[in-house]
Amino acid sequence: MANFLAQFQTIKNACDHLIIAVEDVSDLWPVVKNGFEERLPFKGASLNNKTRNPVFVEKLPAEFILTTDSRLRSRFPQEQLLFWFREPYATVVLVTCEDLDEFKTILKPRLKLIVQNDEREWFIVFISRANPNNDQATKLAKKVYAKLEVDFSSKKRERCCKLDLHGPEANFWEDLESKIVESIRNTLDRRAQFYEDEIRKLSEQRFMPIWNFCNFFILKESLAFMFEMAHLQEDSLREYDELELCYLETVNMTGKQRDFGGVDHGDDQAALLKPGNKPLSQIVQDDSFREFEFRQYLFACQSKLLFKLNRPFEVASRGYSFIISFSKALALHEHMLPFSMREVWVITACLALINTTVSHYNGLVAPDVEKEFYRVQGDLYSLSRIKFMRLAYLIGYGTDIERSPVNSAALSMLPWPKPAVWPSVPPDASSEVLAKEKASLALCQITMNNHKQNVDHVNLIWSDIISKTQTILQANPRVKHFSIQRKPLPLEPSVLLREANRRRASLSAGNMLEMFDIRPSFTDGSSLDASLKMSPSNKVHVSSMSRTNSSPVNFDSSIDRPMRLSEIHVAAEHALQLTITDPDLWKFLSSVQEFEQKYLELTKGAADNYHRSWWKRHGVVLDGEIAAVCYRHGNFDLAAKSYEKVCALYSGEGWQDLLADVLPNLAECQKILDDQAGYLSSCVRLLSLDKGLFLTKERQAFQTEVVRLAHSEMKHPVPLDVSSLITFSGNPGPPLELCDGDPGTLSVTVWSGFPDDITLESLSLTLIATYSADEGVKAIRSFTATILKSGRNTITLAIPPQKPGSYVLGVLTGQIGHLRFRSHSFSKGGPADTDDFMSYEKPTRPILKVFKPRPLVDLAAAISSALLMNEPQWVGLIVTPINYSLKGAVLHIDTGPGLKIEDSHVFEMESYTNVLQSTAHTENSDDARKGGSAITEEYKQLTLEDGKIELPDWASNITSVLWFPVRAIDNRLSRGTSSGLNIAFNLCCSSETETVAVHFTDPFHVSTRVTDKCNDGTLLLQVILHSQVKATLTIYDAWLDLQAGFVHIEEGDGRPTSSFFPLVISPASRAGILFGIRLGTATAGDEAEALHPDSVLNIRYGISGDRTIGAHTPVAAESTGYVDDKKDLIFRSAVVLQRPVLDPFLAVGFLPLPSGGLRVGQLVSMRWRVERLKDFEENAVSHNDEVLYEVNANPENWMIAGRKRGHVSFSTKQGSRIVISIICVPLVAGYVRPPQFGLPNVDEANISCNPAGPHLVCVLPPTLSSSFCIPA
Amino acid sequence: MASTACFIIVSRNDIPIYEAEVGSAVKKEDAAHQHQFILHAALDIVQDLAWTTSAMFLKAVDRFNDLVVSVYVTAGHILHIFKLFYTLTFLLFSQRGQSHKSTYKRSSFFVSLTAHIIHTRLMLLHDSRNDDGIKSFFQEVHELYIKVYYCILSTVLHLDAYLILLNPLYLPGSRITSSHFDTKVRALARKYL
Repeated sequence: MANFLAQFQTIKNACDHLIIAVEDVSDLWPVVKNGFEERLPFKGASLNNKTRNPVFVEKLPAEFILTTDSRLRSRFPQEQLLFWFREPYATVVLVTCEDLDEFKTILKPRLKLIVQNDEREWFIVFISRANPNNDQATKLAKKVYAKLEVDFSSKKRERCCKLDLHGPEANFWEDLESKIVESIRNTLDRRAQFYEDEIRKLSEQRFMPIWNFCNFFILKESLAFMFEMAHLQEDSLREYDELELCYLETVNMTGKQRDFGGVDHGDDQAALLKPGNKPLSQIVQDDSFREFEFRQYLFACQSKLLFKLNRPFEVASRGYSFIISFSKALALHEHMLPFSMREVWVITACLALINTTVSHYNGLVAPDVEKEFYRVQGDLYSLSRIKFMRLAYLIGYGTDIERSPVNSAALSMLPWPKPAVWPSVPPDASSEVLAKEKASLALCQITMNNHKQNVDHVNLIWSDIISKTQTILQANPRVKHFSIQRKPLPLEPSVLLREANRRRASLSAGNMLEMFDIRPSFTDGSSLDASLKMSPSNKVHVSSMSRTNSSPVNFDSSIDRPMRLSEIHVAAEHALQLTITDPDLWKFLSSVQEFEQKYLELTKGAADNYHRSWWKRHGVVLDGEIAAVCYRHGNFDLAAKSYEKVCALYSGEGWQDLLADVLPNLAECQKILDDQAGYLSSCVRLLSLDKGLFLTKERQAFQTEVVRLAHSEMKHPVPLDVSSLITFSGNPGPPLELCDGDPGTLSVTVWSGFPDDITLESLSLTLIATYSADEGVKAIRSFTATILKSGRNTITLAIPPQKPGSYVLGVLTGQIGHLRFRSHSFSKGGPADTDDFMSYEKPTRPILKVFKPRPLVDLAAAISSALLMNEPQWVGLIVTPINYSLKGAVLHIDTGPGLKIEDSHVFEMESYTNVLQSTAHTENSDDARKGGSAITEEYKQLTLEDGKIELPDWASNITSVLWFPVRAIDNRLSRGTSSGLNIAFNLCCSSETETVAVHFTDPFHVSTRVTDKCNDGTLLLQVILHSQVKATLTIYDAWLDLQAGFVHIEEGDGRPTSSFFPLVISPASRAGILFGIRLGTATAGDEAEALHPDSVLNIRYGISGDRTIGAHTPVAAESTGYVDDKKDLIFRSAVVLQRPVLDPFLAVGFLPLPSGGLRVGQLVSMRWRVERLKDFEENAVSHNDEVLYEVNANPENWMIAGRKRGHVSFSTKQGSRIVISIICVPLVAGYVRPPQFGLPNVDEANISCNPAGPHLVCVLPPTLSSSFCIPA
Repeated sequence: MASTACFIIVSRNDIPIYEAEVGSAVKKEDAAHQHQFILHAALDIVQDLAWTTSAMFLKAVDRFNDLVVSVYVTAGHILHIFKLFYTLTFLLFSQRGQSHKSTYKRSSFFVSLTAHIIHTRLMLLHDSRNDDGIKSFFQEVHELYIKVYYCILSTVLHLDAYLILLNPLYLPGSRITSSHFDTKVRALARKYL
């Protein structure tokens, strides 16, 4: 069957649509042809696919061909079977008849003959030419048609339809179309069934030796082609897929090794989208096909169908994997293929695929498919780019390939071409070799000069030069900015020199060693001369000379001599020129400029497509490659833009190793462009990368650049963000606490990432208030230059007064030279992990807390009990700072009324703890003060100036006591009451006024009473002294200055017995003194009374107390007089004495009434007794022996018989008594007031028991008189 | 053991937080650079793939000539870890007799903590084809990695028994600098790769 391949392909190419045969029985075709062909292509045809599921085909092209046509007639039956797909899919029989007899006799037998072939799907179209006006003819036609239907149509299937040429027959065309489609469908099903059966039969024999792939292929492709003609592309594609699977299965079967193919001229150009590239008959081999061509053919067929299905994405993605797998197949057969055939094929395949798919791509797909499409495009571009670079590298354009990670990763892992024999230098190419070598030597010299400073020794040995030349030939000679010394990344999987020479048949490993090691050393001459001497032109000859030859292999043959790099390049170039048949592709490799142009095009294509597919990492990296080319061509602007993208990606994702590779490039571009801001920030970023990524020297170079720029005159000074480089944090521990309005000092830790010390002209730090929106940002500055050393620094900054609130650190700003910088970042305590936390919100710890105004100091009186009035006394003031330093504080003291500060005297200040101690273990405070606390440093004598006292420094943080002498002035005499007086204090720093009350009192509280009144008129006056102070009082003397009217008994001076004194009164105890006095003459005179309205108690006493407790010995005005100032204190207290008020000398008594009670009208005797209590020694009463009496009674109640008023004689002797009785008659019954008895001449004060007698008496009614009682 | 193997843990925000060359081959200076580059580029593919599958172990997402990138995405463990923390806290506080209020407070802390674990990727660049070994390696390293969080937990809860292995002050997203972790990873690499 293989013989039919050529014919098969011709047939396939000739027909691309279905054929419908027209059996024109009655020569009607010319009449209806137009009408029929107008229906083409059929719209909305419903066909069955391979699995017998209905498929809707929108447009089904077909062609009507008369059965008499030569195309249908001249076929052999065998061919018909084989190429059944081209046979008609339906047969339309056109008939007409106007006579029933004619139909029966002629037409019917003829039709029977035609339709007897079961193979064909047929149906009859009856065409009526009858004019609709002609009833007869119409009827006849109808009859004939009815007859026709009876004869040919069955219940199962309508096989007839009627076309009225002259009548409107709207339904006819739909009918016709459906009938045709039905026929096609049936035919298709039957044929598909046939092919499938055949294929199955063949498949079963697949593993038998007789099996022939070609036969299988023809059947399979026929089926596929049939489906394709029927526009069932999906099914067709499936057939091709199966065919490919089957082929791959058989092609790798062992024992059937065939030619691979691919050695023809032009095979290097991929034909994966050109199904007709080579006739099938050419690629057939034995019973199968050559892999190289056939696989491409299959893919081309598939892609054709996919394009028809409008799925360019699938073509691209299938194409990519096809290229990959095909490339592997090429690698397997590389030894038979032309040099680098594989690379060239991949490049052409990728480019063809890209061009075709893009031209077919209309973008009307789902977003994710679109994304994928661009991704595949990017992959294709990327793949072709890599292969293209590989070819260029072989030719020697390696110097123009950037040694970036992407290129290095791609090329260094891509194996070299593996030809059977590495191409050798053509005999006439020595001039080219020379040219290449010269160029490389020139480069070498440039590099030498560049490296002069590094490589000083002149005696370079030859191998050095050679190796340098080799590096130069392959490496980018560009010296990195900042003199970064980094080993260039490799672009070769193994050393090309070695690889190329190894691939040459006659060389062995031993020579390889020689190649690198046996170069003679020229130690005697200048290196450059030596290298020039060994210039390539010489070496061609040198190589044939006999040299130090440790190898057993013979070097005589020049072809066996190891090639040098330039030779390898030239050889590769020539070999490639032979391989590449596409002049366009060769053009791109013919010169460096052309190479670069194509390289740029491929890189851009890949980058753009990756970007469109959202593969930003792939895209951005390739942008970096474009940037490198731009950079080489001096297009620094574009280069910088692209490099910026790359840097942004790497730094954003924190891949520092990769960033370290590309950032210096960006910096260099920015430097060249004079983009100082960008350059500075790049330098800062370089500095903030991991320290291990650069040498210290390099890092120092970065810093030098920063400092240099900072100190230069910048046109547009820019703020620089050094957040990643200089970080800061507050010191650990609690925040600094200040009060509103107070300055303070803040200590901050700053980490510097600079490798060396760096001088900051100024430094300031903002404080941000938390929890208050209105408060802005406060900056605190240190204007002095600060030198930051590398690593940790502690910096103290003075804080001006702040408003109340909690503050966190904000931004660190400062100046390096003219450059303002700022840093936002906190360090966690170390510079190691600065970057990683950038994305996390930092816990902001307050660094400073400023409180609302609060009491900063507590002022209280140090003494708890009263002080002596009118004496200079030490008043203690406890000054307690409340979490606040009182440094420089000034105390204002204002005294209240009645208080006077003895400012002539020094003040004393001491620590409160001292005071406590001294009170604890000493009794005598004076001694303690003099002895102990005066020595300690926390004791100071101060003087008052303008009412102010400046507190000493040592007292700023501790509780201290200020003692100052105060006298409470109260000129009144003590009357047993106590007085309290106030002192006001002012503190300057907080303008705080505090009032401290101090209690002043007299030493004693005096109470007096007369304990006894003797008969002789002597009064015993008891004076009780109650000590009011917490101090021991000693009474030395006490006397009483009496007021007028009183005199001391026995005419004394009123002092108690002196042996009582001194009398010691302990605190809070009492003492009593008795004074004997008697009433003196009351007529002493008014003047004396005015002088001494009160009696005055005078007490001379001494006091011994502790000032920390209360009253104490008064402060001496002069410190010198302090010691002998033993003069006693005088306490004076007024005592009021009063003469006695009552002095009765007569007593009057009412004698009891008779027991029977009083009755109205009954006489009663009222009796009063008057008794003389005292002798009338004075003439107080004029009538010595007579007393005037008087009885008063209400005359309505009483009738008095006797003298109401009269004198009775009464002895003047004490104890004499008389009784006065009066007869009275009560007049009314009831409680009545009795008669009153009085002594009008005697003062009431001299009468005791006055009034005498009861207030009321009960008077009974008169007894009943019997005379008035008449018995009933 | 694979001759070339470069292992990297990439955090949620694409930052590499741990990297190690665990291959047996002599380490080339430039290789690390290339490996980083390849793994970084593979993130593009992982970002697409991670949403298409529920599997955590993505086999061979990318090929670079002979080198293959395998990835393990730790997305599915959020819930699991959260539950673990939650039950643990509950247990602990109920034992100590603390109020429930404080328990809720703590557990809400862990929710925010575990959110950081989402989508950490363990990436391995290797030349061997031992899929099962690689999978086991990933699983064990993942377990190890989670222990970092256990340690956070233990410090927070003062669970002294758990205070082991790793730096207890590890913050999610920061670099893993623990030498213990490093040693363990290398041991696992020797065992499985």
